[in-house]
Amino acid sequence: MRAPKFLLAVPAWAWLTAFFILPVATVVYFSFGYKPGLFGTHATDVLSLDRYREALSPTFFTTFVNTLRIGILGTLICLLIGIPMAYWMAVKVSPRWRTLLLALVIVPFWTNFLVRTIGWQVILAPEGWLSGLLQSIGLRDAPLAILYTRPAVLLGVVYNYLPLMILPLFVAFDRVGPALREASKDLGADRLRTFLRVTLPMARPGMIAGILLVFIPLMGDYITAVVLGGARGNMVGQLVASQFQAAQNWALGSAMAVLLIVVIAGAVLAGGLLAWLVSWPVRHRTRLGLADLENIAVQERA
Amino acid sequence: MASAGAVELTAVTKRFGEHTAVDRLDLAIEPGEFIALLGPSGCGKTTTLRMIAGFEQPDEGDIRISGESVAGVPPHKRHVNTVFQNYALFPHMNVAENVAYGLQQQRTPRAEIRQRVAEALDMVQMRSLADRRPAQMSGGQQQRVALARALVNRPSVLLLDEPLGALDRQLREEMQIELKLLQARLGTTFVFVTHDQHEALSLGDRIAIMRAGRLEQLDTADAVYARPASAFVAGFVGQQNFLTGQARGDGTFDAGQIRLRSSRNGEGSLLGGQVRAAIRPEYVTVEKVSDAYPSGSAPAGSALPENSAVGRVASVAHLGETMQYIVEVEGQDSILSRIPTPQAPAVNVNDAVVASWDADSVHLFQAELSAPQHPASRT
Repeated sequence: MRAPKFLLAVPAWAWLTAFFILPVATVVYFSFGYKPGLFGTHATDVLSLDRYREALSPTFFTTFVNTLRIGILGTLICLLIGIPMAYWMAVKVSPRWRTLLLALVIVPFWTNFLVRTIGWQVILAPEGWLSGLLQSIGLRDAPLAILYTRPAVLLGVVYNYLPLMILPLFVAFDRVGPALREASKDLGADRLRTFLRVTLPMARPGMIAGILLVFIPLMGDYITAVVLGGARGNMVGQLVASQFQAAQNWALGSAMAVLLIVVIAGAVLAGGLLAWLVSWPVRHRTRLGLADLENIAVQERA
Repeated sequence: MASAGAVELTAVTKRFGEHTAVDRLDLAIEPGEFIALLGPSGCGKTTTLRMIAGFEQPDEGDIRISGESVAGVPPHKRHVNTVFQNYALFPHMNVAENVAYGLQQQRTPRAEIRQRVAEALDMVQMRSLADRRPAQMSGGQQQRVALARALVNRPSVLLLDEPLGALDRQLREEMQIELKLLQARLGTTFVFVTHDQHEALSLGDRIAIMRAGRLEQLDTADAVYARPASAFVAGFVGQQNFLTGQARGDGTFDAGQIRLRSSRNGEGSLLGGQVRAAIRPEYVTVEKVSDAYPSGSAPAGSALPENSAVGRVASVAHLGETMQYIVEVEGQDSILSRIPTPQAPAVNVNDAVVASWDADSVHLFQAELSAPQHPASRT
């Protein structure tokens, strides 16, 4: 007798249940509790929505908007840099160099995330070499003042997450292959129209994968914000971490974490809806089907 | 434009690195003609097609389409469309959208797009599948859609790059007939690339046979078959018996024990030294030695009549319309004979036979230093 097919999925499900579903359920449960005095971290004998009310304070709200702004901006910049880069690697570069380039894209991953980010701290510091160089060639007359600002965080997240955008985009562009681009040109489309109507629509799954791979971890990232953002580049991840670690208030930290999950899910849905609405006119204009052809009588061509 | 649909290649050369894919090719295609570009793989036929389409630019020479030079004109500005080898249908569009794509690029009005897409799909009997995606169709159906997608643009020239290569034999033959009828009805110039000689012979008004980047012969199927311009063409189109002979100076040639004479255009007298003789299997008859020489044994060596050989039957095969005999001749390549089944002699394996042919069926070519390959001459 053959083993049932679902056995193949059992390891993954067991792992996800033990290390994802149960912890998230615990966090949700804790978020309805409270902090029972100075030395306790959480209690759940009385459940309420008070922590959510507490979490939605003006400070938290400001940080949340800031996080969302960095998240969306960072993802867009990754997309804008990633699309031409991935397209170039998949289409223009000779196969000989492609492997090397792919390896170079992944190279930053060989180093620890924290170390990489601290590297940027060194570069961007007011007394760092970049600052010195800019001053000595006369591009700036004062030391660089970018560290511990939002632009520094943005630079850090784009640097840290760009490979996660490039790799799925590369796979998607590579999959399209030269034959379809040639067919498009053969049918009268120039390079831009070929890209917009053939290459890009076919790379859509890769684009969605890249956006999700960058946007979701970026929203929860707090290392980049701590190292490069300081007080002015605050992100929600930092607030959540400080509630769990410094303030020892697990209930409030959980409520913030749950709100973060809800906002990420909401942002992803809103983004998808927006993309669908924006592309609607194009899809509507080019759509053609059996129903459109139904009542057309064909006269013999001379 | 009187010459709409004409294609003219003048001394066109294309190199890829060290390799010369097309070598000073001259080719003139008449408007409304169905041309088959035939040759073994690597002969430059696909490169030629890609240069007409605009995907490759010639290094030297000029290409004219409908009388105008297309040097530097990108593919999307040429009034030429292609049916690709693997169809290259857009997988994210349905059949109707695939066919409409070219018209949308020309900013054709919506109503006209619908009308012409419907016409094009009717032409290949695919209108009812307008909503299907390419992945939901068979190879033959995809082939029809690719044809409709190219023809809906009413190109001056349609290029077809081995379009039937992926289909099974029966479907292939059906599509060949449809293509031929379609081309006759539309009057569009068709340039059809194939490595299949049967396809080329059955489809082409004229057949251009290419070899190593050069044109060997451009002529009708009849002429290419009956009057091959070179030993290569003789061997590539249809099957041949090839014999290497030495001139005797009296218009005959010695090929081992066989004495060859050709009565074609006095060919024999023009050639000296070593020659290659090509004789088609269907011109070779086979007869039992005992029937040919009732007196007893066959004459040997120089006593044999011209254009005949004595040997032993190695194989008898029934091919349907014809019977095929392979006769082994001592000290010689074996000789292939094909005889229409009703006229086939009762000959069995191991019988001693006389194979003979008319002097009219012997084609002589000056032997080349490097003998050409004949992929189809022994199968």
